[in-house]
Amino acid sequence: MVIEIEAILIFGAISGASLALLALGFTLIYGVAEVVNFGHGSLFMWGAYLFFFFGPGGFLQLDLLWASILAVVIVAAISVIFYRLTIHPIIGDVIAGLVVTIAAALVFERLVLLIFGPMKQYIPTFVPGFTVIAGVKVTYSQLLSFGISLLLFLSLWIFIRTVKIGKAMRAVAQDREVAMLMGINTNRVYMITMAISGALAATAGILITGSTTGEAAAYMWLRPLVVSFSVVVLGGLGSIKGTLIGAFIISYAETIFVSLDPSFSYLRSVVGLTIMVIILLVRPKGLFGKRIELEE
Amino acid sequence: MVSAYFLKRIYLSFATHVFDVPARLAAFLLFLLLIFFPVTNPTSQILLLLTLANLGAIFAVSWDLLVGRTGLMSLGHAVFFGLGAYVTALLFVHLGLPPYITIPLSIPVGVLVALIVGFPSLRVKGPYLSLISFAFPLILTGIIYYFKEYTGGERGLYGLPSFFPFLPYKDQFLAEYWFTLLLLFISGVIIYRIANSETGIVLVSILDDELASKASGINVTKYKIMTFVISGIFATIAGSVQAHILRVANTGMLEATISFIPVIVTIFGGIGTLYGPIVGAYFLQLLDGYVLGRIITIPPDWVYAKMLVYALIIIILIILWPRGVARFVTDKLEDLEEARDIDERGSKIWKKYKKKKEKVV
Repeated sequence: MVIEIEAILIFGAISGASLALLALGFTLIYGVAEVVNFGHGSLFMWGAYLFFFFGPGGFLQLDLLWASILAVVIVAAISVIFYRLTIHPIIGDVIAGLVVTIAAALVFERLVLLIFGPMKQYIPTFVPGFTVIAGVKVTYSQLLSFGISLLLFLSLWIFIRTVKIGKAMRAVAQDREVAMLMGINTNRVYMITMAISGALAATAGILITGSTTGEAAAYMWLRPLVVSFSVVVLGGLGSIKGTLIGAFIISYAETIFVSLDPSFSYLRSVVGLTIMVIILLVRPKGLFGKRIELEE
Repeated sequence: MVSAYFLKRIYLSFATHVFDVPARLAAFLLFLLLIFFPVTNPTSQILLLLTLANLGAIFAVSWDLLVGRTGLMSLGHAVFFGLGAYVTALLFVHLGLPPYITIPLSIPVGVLVALIVGFPSLRVKGPYLSLISFAFPLILTGIIYYFKEYTGGERGLYGLPSFFPFLPYKDQFLAEYWFTLLLLFISGVIIYRIANSETGIVLVSILDDELASKASGINVTKYKIMTFVISGIFATIAGSVQAHILRVANTGMLEATISFIPVIVTIFGGIGTLYGPIVGAYFLQLLDGYVLGRIITIPPDWVYAKMLVYALIIIILIILWPRGVARFVTDKLEDLEEARDIDERGSKIWKKYKKKKEKVV
């Protein structure tokens, strides 16, 4: 079988950008609040489901832009409530935090099953049609997802470096006590971080499901969670630069591996995890991990 | 005469080691209650439920030794559970071996995988270790799907033999219940003995401060790998026995939910206690299979709400009692114990025994 280098380059870049967006929220909440959020995949799933609910094929019949904005805002609100009710009372206890977020992920999954039922839901594509780049067929939705992902990633980078709240987030990430002494309301910073993290997960959910399979199912939270693990751990927990690079490494590795032989698609998630394990054995803090600092 | 002496020795050690400690006495009475539970003539469904609770308890106790005592926060314990199931199933399907041979054969495989899974724990710590261990069951699932002509792929391997095929159908459940209860008792005692020996103290020292224990000349590498191996062996046994009881081995036994169950159960019962996970496992099984569904009947549309209610209970309990429910109870028992004077404690025999000892000295 001939390996098409152009196809690998283009599809790897497209999925890498959306993976970066997905993993960004995960690394952000770990970097700032030291919470390993197992509910991240569930927020991704809720983004996709709410988009379906508000979108043209769903119940409210809004147009795509309004549906996606509404879905993202609601998921951000859900994640703040989720933080306030579950993570906030036990913050600082990593093991209890793990268990609470795992339980919350199960709650989110069951809520989806109760509200939407076990059937798969089909998400509308953003823009129909496709174009041909360097002999490879690329749909407009994939291009749109690529553009929006990179744009959001860049704007978050700028947000953290320039805006006052972003600077406060970095301060809390570096040293919680000193940040409190400087008059930063750490609780509010955690809540804002959680809202941003949830919004990013929901956006990634809409973009990834909308541009690839177009299916939303109740078990879909696991794969994004695992992928964000491998991306974030590869790049170093809490490092934004590492997340971007890790996302592209993982997505290219997966694309190359699957294009070698279609029967390898069973092992798709395994590639990222294996790379993660190997890199961690060589560099225990990940490629760019600097303990708990939020790197610029 | 000699036998009477030994009986007396056994009785004395029992009186001093079990009757004198309220928590152990409570555990012993519970065990007796479980042994004689089938007297009430329960249905085979309830027996199966309790059998699964026993296996879940073994699985959770092995996780607790790893995490609660040594501090190696593993989130991929299902890798051992599923491995045990698949090893016994593959040996049966391709070689036709009975369970009494395949289950002991699954142990060396479990040890081998424990060495592989335990190796990263020497390099990475904290949340990194949790995430890396979470990967192993998923990697194994991928491998099983890839070799689907041998492993059956998504359908899994089924039609495994039961442990007691010579018994009538109804009695098999009873025999399996007693068998797993015995297994739970043996593995619980072994893990308890390990955790309270000198080795156990070393393990807790690794949990408290790894650097300090290294500086005290403890071979941390050896003990970490050893804990993984011990914990892995019991989890493998639990998985392989469950495969024979449910007569099937599939990738559902490697799912993330299976890895989360010991976490939830142990945190519920009290992490690091070793008896907490047993309480938690029973609580989970009874709540999941008996209370929800029989006592409180739910309409079929709301069947998904079972796990929802259960997860909500877990969240509320963790926030209210971060140290676990079982530990909350034993704290109360220990308060009672301390309230009494030391001389007043224990049975009359204990006092006699003490007097004799003093005379000898």
